[in-house]
Amino acid sequence: MPVPLTDADLHAYADGNAAPERVPAIEAALRSDPSLAQFVAGVRRQNAALRDALDGPLNEPIPQRLLDAAAAPPKSRWRRTLPAFAVAATLVIGCAIGWFARDAMLERAGTPTTFARQAALTHALYASDANRPVEVWATEEKRLVTWLSRRLGFQVHAPDLNGFGYALVGGRLVAGNEKPTALFMYENADKQRLTLQVRKQADGPNDTGFRYVVEDGVSVFYWIDERCGYALSGQLDRGQLLAISRLVYGQLAAAESTPR
Amino acid sequence: MSIDAPLPHPDLVAAIPRLRRYARVLTGESTRADDLVQETLARAWEKRRLWAAGTDLRAWLFTIMHNVFVNQRATARRDSQSVSLDDDENGVARELSVRPNQHLRVEIAEIAREVARLPSEQREVLVLAAVEELRYEEIASVLSIPIGTVMSRLSRAREKLRRALDHEPSENVPLKIVR
Repeated sequence: MPVPLTDADLHAYADGNAAPERVPAIEAALRSDPSLAQFVAGVRRQNAALRDALDGPLNEPIPQRLLDAAAAPPKSRWRRTLPAFAVAATLVIGCAIGWFARDAMLERAGTPTTFARQAALTHALYASDANRPVEVWATEEKRLVTWLSRRLGFQVHAPDLNGFGYALVGGRLVAGNEKPTALFMYENADKQRLTLQVRKQADGPNDTGFRYVVEDGVSVFYWIDERCGYALSGQLDRGQLLAISRLVYGQLAAAESTPR
Repeated sequence: MSIDAPLPHPDLVAAIPRLRRYARVLTGESTRADDLVQETLARAWEKRRLWAAGTDLRAWLFTIMHNVFVNQRATARRDSQSVSLDDDENGVARELSVRPNQHLRVEIAEIAREVARLPSEQREVLVLAAVEELRYEEIASVLSIPIGTVMSRLSRAREKLRRALDHEPSENVPLKIVR
């Protein structure tokens, strides 16, 4: 009576993983039953095809950031668990990492990056970052707004989206095509994130209505008001995002007309 | 701070291409995949005391990557109830099948697409076994599942993929005794 074989034996044999003591029994079974031999051959063909299909990354140059990550312990690890203290460090490190990743994304995009597309990419990059989504946290909102206003060369405001359940997380400076862009990030109780990006338009119309695009799964409403471009991005449906965009627009318009 | 036994740097670097390949299968998108690899390497350094020198570094790295990915996915799910994150699967299909080099045989694109269509638990097991060539016990430990589950997922994934590529109607095939 031969030792009963299971599917597991055949898979393991096809994968070259069978326990040595099982091999004789498996091979005997393959010799006596062509359908089993066929099964093993099929699995091996499928494995080879899978490797062909998925091997791409093996032949690509390794990005420097991964070589760096392999070379040494991350310098700022402890800060990731203490984000409240991380403002200074994230400013430098987050910025550097953000930059490399962002360059890679923009390069991959390979097309002229329109404001909305750029906003979507930037949103995707930072909103998915659990640990360092912003350079300056909302606990220092005043400093954040002052800093961004100075860097952009005009007064920016962080709108209050608490009415929609989104609290300010913080903000950062990101590069635009020609002009720097301010980014404010918001998060709701479900950890869903929105970003508002603001920059001075170098050229083009002074004002536009709301425009809507979906880039890489990120919905973006963008508009130009008084030569400032605004883009509100998030993984929300159009209706929700439009409602929030209207609130942002209204608040910013109100802020503009309030003397300081 | 005391000097930690460093991770073997050459082995770590040597593991990167395979980590990237697996990360791409998981995330379906190359930038996110590299983020995942980077995070995995960082965690590996952080947890280097937990690696028993002499054991398979690669399997250990896959374990870390799996855990990081599962946590991120859980966060992403919470983040996006209103967005169809079937995009997850579609994203994988898009990335794996849309390659710049159109000389690639149609088969390859088709295989990639069908892999992307597999349920993610089956896809992980299949790729770890067939492509990464991990032993089944290693896969069980990487994914924290019993070895029986590894086998049943592997068996289903292979059958599903075979049927898809042969354009046969699908059918769940339970693990059976073939004697």
